[in-house]
Amino acid sequence: MIAYKFLAPGAVAPFTGFHWPVGEWVAASGRDQCRQGIHACRIRDLPLWIHAELWEIELAGEIDEQPRKVVAERGRLVQRVTGWNEGLAAEFGRFCAARTRERVGFLPVGSGYVGDVDRFVATGRIPIAGFAAARAAEWRDGPGAYEEEREAQAGWLAERLGLGE
Amino acid sequence: MRLNRELACQEVVELVTAYLDDALLPDDRERFEEHLVFCDGCQNYLHQMRGTIAAVGRVRVELPAELQEKLLEAFRGWREA
Amino acid sequence: MVTQLLSPEDALLVEGLRAGDEAAFVAVMRMYGRGMLRVAEMYVSSRAVAEDVVQEAWVGVLRGIGRFEGRSSLKTWLYRIVANTAKTRGVRESRSVPFSSLGDGGDEGTVDPDRFIGSGERFPGHWAVPPQAWAPEGRLLADETLEVVEDAIERLPPAQRAVITMRDVQGFTSEEVCNALDLTETNQRVLLHRARAKVRSALEEYMR
Repeated sequence: MIAYKFLAPGAVAPFTGFHWPVGEWVAASGRDQCRQGIHACRIRDLPLWIHAELWEIELAGEIDEQPRKVVAERGRLVQRVTGWNEGLAAEFGRFCAARTRERVGFLPVGSGYVGDVDRFVATGRIPIAGFAAARAAEWRDGPGAYEEEREAQAGWLAERLGLGE
Repeated sequence: MRLNRELACQEVVELVTAYLDDALLPDDRERFEEHLVFCDGCQNYLHQMRGTIAAVGRVRVELPAELQEKLLEAFRGWREA
Repeated sequence: MVTQLLSPEDALLVEGLRAGDEAAFVAVMRMYGRGMLRVAEMYVSSRAVAEDVVQEAWVGVLRGIGRFEGRSSLKTWLYRIVANTAKTRGVRESRSVPFSSLGDGGDEGTVDPDRFIGSGERFPGHWAVPPQAWAPEGRLLADETLEVVEDAIERLPPAQRAVITMRDVQGFTSEEVCNALDLTETNQRVLLHRARAKVRSALEEYMR
């Protein structure tokens, strides 16, 4: 299965500090899959895990599909998705800001959210811009709207990066 | 109105010790890490906590000298007996 | 005859103590002495009494070292003797304080609520005043900083002080602390959590 993985600069896992080799299979150790398995994103999970580098990863072995990620026994970084860089991240932020403005900008409290997202984008804080946009949608239109917003974000990323083709 | 989707920072700070002990349930661990993806404040908090633990690890731990003397005397007394 | 169950370091120390070797004594004191005092302080009313307890416990250690079979680690065995001695002493002093009250109690959070956005705002529970990165990092390693940390630990309630000493100063595992102090893992973690939060807070003040 082909999936995606966000990593810190230098192909480093953001939480464990693990240095990912490119092209080599990496296996999970230990029996507790969720702690030790290889974590990756489907397209729909991408907005939740945004980080500096985006990689395509091939997964093998037993694969557990969870609500916000997949966990596999083995994974191998295939190639870097070079389209993902600071410039595109900023564009993504502006995309989130535009949608927020459209959805809630005209409402009294809503304009506060617009200001938040704008501020996050202006300071380069892209992951929280995406979160705030989804939260603003949820505020106005309920939990379904949160998911919708995240789906729209995932769709934008997939399209701009040419993923899943 | 609190929308109960993810953890808020005020909850995240209370999970830090369990997270570092690897004692969070998988769902909570995921929510914790997901939150850290976008929250600089909590990233800094976790980093500060790690720094605190490292600093605590360097604390000097001798017994007060007088007490150690007494224990040494008792040890010598026991040895001679 | 020291059993195979002990770690090599523990086995060496036990043999050393049995042989009356002062180097072994010094090593044991360096590794566990302060922690033993902190455990004693959890159960008795004053530092002076805690020091008495450690002396009394030490006599018990010397009496028992010949028979010590190594079924638990040396540190667990030492700390249990101290804890038991302290508890007996605490009872004699009519100071049987329920363990739960040895922390600072309550379900309050460990960070000042004013640091967070209130409910009814756009991001309730998020940082209003976020923590900053501590820079330069070298400052954390300075001697002056160490004093701030030691002082913060001294000011902790006894149970929190004992747990953070054992876990973070002396490197005991969670399981070892629970065994030595007869705590559930949850209780132990709560005490550690509160202790660390207070020390972090003191450091944050200092690092401004």
